[in-house]
Amino acid sequence: MPIRRSRLAFLSATAAALCLLVLPAGGAASAKRAQITVYAAASLTNVFPAIDSQEKYSFGGSNTLAAQITQGAPADVFASANMTLPTQLFQKGLCSKPIVFTRNRLVIVVPKANSAGIHDIYDLTKPGVKIDIAAKGVPVGNYTLQILKNMNLTAAVLKNVVSQETDVREVLAKVALGEADAGFVYSTDAKTVPGKVTVIKVPAWAQPKVQYGICVVSKSGDKTDAKAFVKRVLSKSGQKKLHNYGFLARVKPSPKKR
Amino acid sequence: MRRTIGYCLFVAVAVLTLAFLLLPIVGIFVHTSPGKLLGQLSNPVVKDAFVVTLKTSLIAQALILLFGTPTAYLLATRRFTGHSVAITLVELPLVLPPAVAGVGLLAALGRNGLLGSSLDAFGISLPFTQTAVTIAVAYVASPLYIRQAIASFEATDPHLTAASRTLGAGPVRTFFRVVLPLARGGLIAGLALSFARGLGEFGATIMFAGSLQRVTQTLPLAIYAEFDVNFDTTLAMSGVLILISALLLLTLRIALSWQRSPSSRSTSLLGLSTST
Repeated sequence: MPIRRSRLAFLSATAAALCLLVLPAGGAASAKRAQITVYAAASLTNVFPAIDSQEKYSFGGSNTLAAQITQGAPADVFASANMTLPTQLFQKGLCSKPIVFTRNRLVIVVPKANSAGIHDIYDLTKPGVKIDIAAKGVPVGNYTLQILKNMNLTAAVLKNVVSQETDVREVLAKVALGEADAGFVYSTDAKTVPGKVTVIKVPAWAQPKVQYGICVVSKSGDKTDAKAFVKRVLSKSGQKKLHNYGFLARVKPSPKKR
Repeated sequence: MRRTIGYCLFVAVAVLTLAFLLLPIVGIFVHTSPGKLLGQLSNPVVKDAFVVTLKTSLIAQALILLFGTPTAYLLATRRFTGHSVAITLVELPLVLPPAVAGVGLLAALGRNGLLGSSLDAFGISLPFTQTAVTIAVAYVASPLYIRQAIASFEATDPHLTAASRTLGAGPVRTFFRVVLPLARGGLIAGLALSFARGLGEFGATIMFAGSLQRVTQTLPLAIYAEFDVNFDTTLAMSGVLILISALLLLTLRIALSWQRSPSSRSTSLLGLSTST
């Protein structure tokens, strides 16, 4: 008898496990409005759910997301922290022609305690300063390198770099924790942890052109809803939300003649 | 008749299970030709990651051996209050998500951590250093060695140690001349397992030590970093790790077959009984 019982238990456990495997798929299909999956740059972590709380989001380094889409990840929309990655996907026929939907600028963040005594970008060259940046290939990593190049600080600052992260929020986290002395992030990221970091501006003339691109993934099973999402981001209310979170207008105001 | 059907069912399930386990590995080696794989090995990112991994792993394993062996012996031979608590403590890193281990290490040894300010007084800052990688590896891998070591020590015949003591050998001499040789196979097997686990360490390392080529970027971190840069490099490094891990597991099997236990007890390895 005990053998029988244990066999029954085994069978029902297996059956339960199989049911669990099948259930979520059925559950999702019965949702009212079809949810789409948005792959978005880590810097959009706070603002995108504020624009549209309905969708499923996967936030990460834009380059990682682009690689996942190339490998066939089930994304409907791709929102990147640069134009290069979505343009590459577009050229490979993997997504629609990307549109600029917002802009941003970079800042330096230091922990509130600022034990390394960093007050401007040149202080980053002081010996022993622990600087965290995003890796090359990650949009914010490339922008960081561009700033350093523009300011002729590449070698002097890179020698103090202690880690290269896979997205901007990891840089922010390590500075906010006080483990790193300074890091390069978007000004919008710095705003998400106001009590923990101090912002140091990067000179305007050294700023790279930070444009965010959005596109509809070619393999999307729900292009109508994907396009509607893009529209929502580009709409007046979407742009207002972005502005509220510190992002810049998608079109640069025409520069005054100097 | 019913017996044959039942047997066929078992075989079918086993074949499915094995195929499931094999598939990703086949995928990696099919995706890249051996020539391409070898070509990628001269890539500086791969070489640097390999050196960092090997160096930190070897140091971590040496530390695990040095500290884990006496600890395991004590836990195997003495029963004291708090014994099960100690065993749980040893086993905990085994089931903890590595990310939790990383957070814990930061909270304990980070600059603002529990011991951070004391370390700072000595001018020591652990995060972002190779020492941090070594600590992360030692933390997550040690349970595999210590558990196996405890099992091996428990399997040594207590009559032999008792005989050694009555013949006049002190506890230390008995440990080195009688216990260690008897438990040797199991200890090597535990170390191989711990080594394999340490090579694959990712979560705790990226949180506690960060990732910087030539300094803290181990093979798993480099695999993650290269994923969106060059998929071929990722495949090559994955291939290397698979080969090393397979080799280590093979070492473990061989080492376990060495373990001679006079009373032919079985040593348990991760709950799997291997009769010796």
